[in-house]
Amino acid sequence: MKTIREINEKIKKGDAVVVTAEEMIEIVEEMGPKGAAKEVDVVTTGTFGAMCSSGVFLNFGHSDPPIKMMRTYLNGVEAYSGLAAVDAYLGAAQPNSDDDIDINYGGAHVIEDLVAGKEVRLVAEGYTTDCYPRKRVSTTITLEDLNQAIMVNPRNSYQTYPAATNSREEKIYTYMGTLLPEYSNINYSGAGQLNPLQNDYNRERKTYNTIGIGTKIFLGGGIGYIIGEGTQHNPEKAFGTLMVKGDLKTMSTKFLRAGTMPNYGCTLYVGVGVPIPVLNEEVAKACAVRDEDIQVPILDFGVPRRDRPVVAKTNYKELRKGEVTIEIYDNELKRWVEKTVKTASVSSYKKSREVAEELKRWILNGDFTLSEPVAPLGRGSCKPMKAEAKLVRDILSRPPIVARPNISIEEAARILTEKNINHLPIVDEEGKLLGIVTSWDIARAVAQNIKSICEIMTRKVISSTLDEPIDVVARKMSRYDISGVPVVDSSGRVVGMVTAEDLSKLLGHRKF
Amino acid sequence: MKKRIYYWVHEEYRDKPIIAKVILETKVLINILVAKMKPQESFLILELSGSEEQIEKALNMLKKYGEYEDIPKTIEKNKERCIDCGACIVHCPVNAISREEDFTIVFNEKECIGCKNCVKICPLKAIEVCEI
Repeated sequence: MKTIREINEKIKKGDAVVVTAEEMIEIVEEMGPKGAAKEVDVVTTGTFGAMCSSGVFLNFGHSDPPIKMMRTYLNGVEAYSGLAAVDAYLGAAQPNSDDDIDINYGGAHVIEDLVAGKEVRLVAEGYTTDCYPRKRVSTTITLEDLNQAIMVNPRNSYQTYPAATNSREEKIYTYMGTLLPEYSNINYSGAGQLNPLQNDYNRERKTYNTIGIGTKIFLGGGIGYIIGEGTQHNPEKAFGTLMVKGDLKTMSTKFLRAGTMPNYGCTLYVGVGVPIPVLNEEVAKACAVRDEDIQVPILDFGVPRRDRPVVAKTNYKELRKGEVTIEIYDNELKRWVEKTVKTASVSSYKKSREVAEELKRWILNGDFTLSEPVAPLGRGSCKPMKAEAKLVRDILSRPPIVARPNISIEEAARILTEKNINHLPIVDEEGKLLGIVTSWDIARAVAQNIKSICEIMTRKVISSTLDEPIDVVARKMSRYDISGVPVVDSSGRVVGMVTAEDLSKLLGHRKF
Repeated sequence: MKKRIYYWVHEEYRDKPIIAKVILETKVLINILVAKMKPQESFLILELSGSEEQIEKALNMLKKYGEYEDIPKTIEKNKERCIDCGACIVHCPVNAISREEDFTIVFNEKECIGCKNCVKICPLKAIEVCEI
């Protein structure tokens, strides 16, 4: 048994034994947890990945005449300033107010530029009062000009994170990066055996051994503190998160970097390192966690729902090898088949190592001593939002109006006018979707003297299913520039039709 | 030996089986890495495999029907910006990007065909590829 005070004495004298979490694995293997606890004083951890839930509180100082800033832009990126006159919070994921720049230069990029010492354009507007008569201010600032630039990140350093793949026939763009069609890649994130929370996790008690409120850490190349459990903290399921703060003025672009996930959004890559005091055997044992001990589910991001299906379960060791074999259902062969899929990391293991190494160096040099936490992390909560999902099945009312491909153009025209519709799904004898004919197709048939339905119908039909949320249908219509989608059941039979009109009635409903 | 080239077919030969002809006459193996047929031009990226003599013969033939250019140094990693995550690796169609033991991401210029898949997906905008 050791105390943090004793360890700090050793650090000051230059006698402390400090190792990284990677090095600790072998030490525990050789000496056992008891021996390792005796030998090692501090284990340094590190992670470096995209952490969207990051941002900075800024105080600009008062202008003359003074202004109460209500809308604040830094290089075109809005910072929230519904606070006191010259305070603002700049979020990493905020896109640029200029649509042409959008996610290519957002909040994270402003933060990186500030840290790099670059000049940033500040434009702010407010309402005028007797004490704040100024309406608008426009100037150039650097990090040095700010009174405070305090990074406060509500959720950083996820203990672990599910990997992502895509079952759809099209490429999709997600916060886990670009996912190729038909399970062609698996993207994952996380430092695994180097992750701070992973190395401090007490698997029996489902709590953290040493980390608490007030733990002094490495944050973005500077010194920071853990100020509590992060949002969506879920220690029960080994999905802990951290809320951290630190002084942006001490950070470096080596460990704080802006990025853009293509067609998704901008984000901040943050380096977080936590020193773990090896107080006893239990702490040492937790620090021996290896990549292969950490289970990672692979989720299908092709399903645009909150609860994405688990395709397979793997671990960080397998993921880091570069490929994983999963079982997927082949719809044509009608059986499960094995597929070897390439894996790619969207966080950096190399940088995570650098964080742990840097923190180790600081402690060995006597520049960084450990702090005594004032309270443990809270229990957290990670439950879903109370919001109803409206599904296609909820809005389908009438039975489907469909036709066979052997009807004439005139007959098709009659059905459309009599039923007052614009879309006519064409089906085979079992009611399965073959194509679709719209009123525009009929017009074209008349103009070009075409006689058969087969010649005018669209065969590659964008369709929907009963369990699809209507928001997803709306996105499909907008994306493919179409005004209606047939709804099919699992066997491909048409069970209804959703049109742009149906959706506009739903979404544009008025109270008065 | 192997040689990779950019190849533009002259307009009048666009509908002719030139690549097949070159293969049959020179016995050189040709792998078509990229083919873009547009009204204004047809552009290919070819990989020729054979003896030095065969490749020279093939290049001379190709010159008759179009223009070729050696593929310049195309890909470059901006070491300042790259964080060595490796998100790009799977997006390379010719395995020109790989990861070393210490998790450093390395680019093999010789293999790169300049498709820019990696450039498009890189969150850090750390990859530069020459314009074709």
